[in-house]
Amino acid sequence: MKTIETPRSLLEVRDLQVRFPTSRGTVHALDKVSFDLRPGQALGIVGESGSGKSVTARTLMNLLPRTAQVSGEVLYEGKDVRALAAAGAKHFWGVEMTMVFQDPMTSLNPVKKVGEQIAETLRYHLGRGRRDAWAEATELLGQVGIPEPAQRVTQYPHELSGGLRQRVVIAMALACRPRLLIADEPTTAVDVTVQKHLLDLLDRLRAEREMAMILITHDLGVAKGRTDDVAVMYGGRIVELADTVSLFSDMRHPYTEALMRSIPRIDDPSHHRLDPIPGRPPGLMEPPQRCTFAARCRYARPDCLEAVPELGGMVGLHRFSCNHPVGTERGRAALATNRAAGINATGLPMTETIEEVG
Amino acid sequence: MAGSGRVQLRDSEDVLLRVEDLVVEFPVGRKRVVHAVSSVSFDVIEGETLGIVGESGCGKSTVARSIIRLNPIDGGRVLYEGDDLAELEGGALRRIRPHLQMIFQDPISSLNPRRKVRDVICEGLAVWGDDHAVWTRSRIGELMEAVGVDPRFGDRRPHQFSGGQCQRIGIARALALDPKVLICDEPVSALDVSVQAQILNLLQDMKQRYGLTVLFISHDLSVVKNVSDRIVVMYLGKVCEIGAADELYESPVHPYTRALLASIPEPAATVDVAEGDIAGELPSPVNPPSGCRFHTRCPHATEICRQVEPTMARVGGGDHFAACHHPVLGPDPTR
Repeated sequence: MKTIETPRSLLEVRDLQVRFPTSRGTVHALDKVSFDLRPGQALGIVGESGSGKSVTARTLMNLLPRTAQVSGEVLYEGKDVRALAAAGAKHFWGVEMTMVFQDPMTSLNPVKKVGEQIAETLRYHLGRGRRDAWAEATELLGQVGIPEPAQRVTQYPHELSGGLRQRVVIAMALACRPRLLIADEPTTAVDVTVQKHLLDLLDRLRAEREMAMILITHDLGVAKGRTDDVAVMYGGRIVELADTVSLFSDMRHPYTEALMRSIPRIDDPSHHRLDPIPGRPPGLMEPPQRCTFAARCRYARPDCLEAVPELGGMVGLHRFSCNHPVGTERGRAALATNRAAGINATGLPMTETIEEVG
Repeated sequence: MAGSGRVQLRDSEDVLLRVEDLVVEFPVGRKRVVHAVSSVSFDVIEGETLGIVGESGCGKSTVARSIIRLNPIDGGRVLYEGDDLAELEGGALRRIRPHLQMIFQDPISSLNPRRKVRDVICEGLAVWGDDHAVWTRSRIGELMEAVGVDPRFGDRRPHQFSGGQCQRIGIARALALDPKVLICDEPVSALDVSVQAQILNLLQDMKQRYGLTVLFISHDLSVVKNVSDRIVVMYLGKVCEIGAADELYESPVHPYTRALLASIPEPAATVDVAEGDIAGELPSPVNPPSGCRFHTRCPHATEICRQVEPTMARVGGGDHFAACHHPVLGPDPTR
């Protein structure tokens, strides 16, 4: 069991809420998102499109559009990052906290040599001279495993493969030795063999530099193998947060369970029937004040429709927001009741393909 | 890797689609060509699902598109019920196309945004089918019902549906002409995981219900295994390995297949994770390596791999074939 709320947290996120006013109503992109990150820790954030994982990253990086309405606290080493933003702390983002985006082609400037792009970071943030910055850029390319760095440094992004480009982006993000790296789907645009290389690289760099990382991914397998803790997001909220081992062996939230059961696994025999999650992800426009997963959940009971369940439990422990958690007496009772009725509390038919669990 | 050769072709009367030595090349100027597909052969038995798996640039989508002649064929034959699709032109080609229908990767951009989904689905019927309006209408309702889209929403346009719903509509459109072969090119890659399972199950159900033969292309090894009876692994325009789905994953013999299985985030139990560390970058298909095309990255490569292209050969007892000079044969006692 982990220690509870140590003062050594690198990052503390408290009750983060993000809303986007639009002509058709307010989008509730994030609601009550709270988590902690220790120095050197790797936190995975998993979820589907619209779950709020990228908005979380962009909020931390101060990259939201001006129209966004943000509330809550983001403390970096105890200091409020959002107050920094107002004071114009231009050497915080890019130095202490940096980000790697999904598509390396759009995060690199196509008309600048990759060496210049890395050197620019070093000159701007760390005040390096032209020559030193160039030498350091070459060295960084070597550190991220690019062969023949002295030659690559003078090339343009289009001359590199997707995997090498993403390595350049990683080199750029690491140039100023950040203590927190946010990687938003860093391997989604690349092939599996390249993905493995990139994730191995991030693991190695993180260990060498004692850097913390937030790894955002829709791939549960990636989160399982590469993180210390995982937050599962759904409909703009964290619905389950635990250390990676407990989350995968002892999941509590019905959404986490349903997600795991819906993906084909390599060791399942072929034609193994999948258990899809019925229905579709919730809309974020003015969401109702009830559990957002209830309409798709086979555990949902009438109390799930009365209020949004809070993310219970202590910081640092296995936390989940569910009235009838998987693997507990309440969960089993809810499932048995719904099964007997043939429908859940929202009228969703209980399909017969789902066998007994937990 | 890989290789040419046709020993993997089966001599069964039930073979519905047979691709022999397919070659597709794209000119890229200055007399250079991209060797997208180089002498690829496989067959599909009626009612079977054949999966094609490989990384970007391996030629899997080009193979799929070539079969229905969405791109020109530069060599080889595509035999469907005795006709060589590579030779057909004009009216003869058009008449055969309803038999082979395709589902694309991006469900939203593959539907015309300005048309009602009912019209999208019935376009093929309007061209080919009985143009009796009443019959067409009921057939469309039935199809929409079958793929899980409420027929009352037939007057809506694609943007009013989610990605998963659009893919269902794409499937309904493909099924409208009562095809025998359904070609699915990365049909679930653009979808969220919770929706992916719905579409995979739907494809399985439609296959049963309409007696389809399916060609399923994907880069996702777990997805391909889930849907396929037989699987083709491709690399840089060549076939590496062909086998029954369970057998291929249970005892992969080609070093590239093993590398793929070792690279996925939760690697298959049958391979060592270190096998996923294949060296270097994908070579250019404009100037592919000599001999075995995988030799530049293969941990087992020797001189012969640089010089002689391996041909497909049977490995193990069943219909399992690989093109490799140094296949990794496990200590399987049944061999």
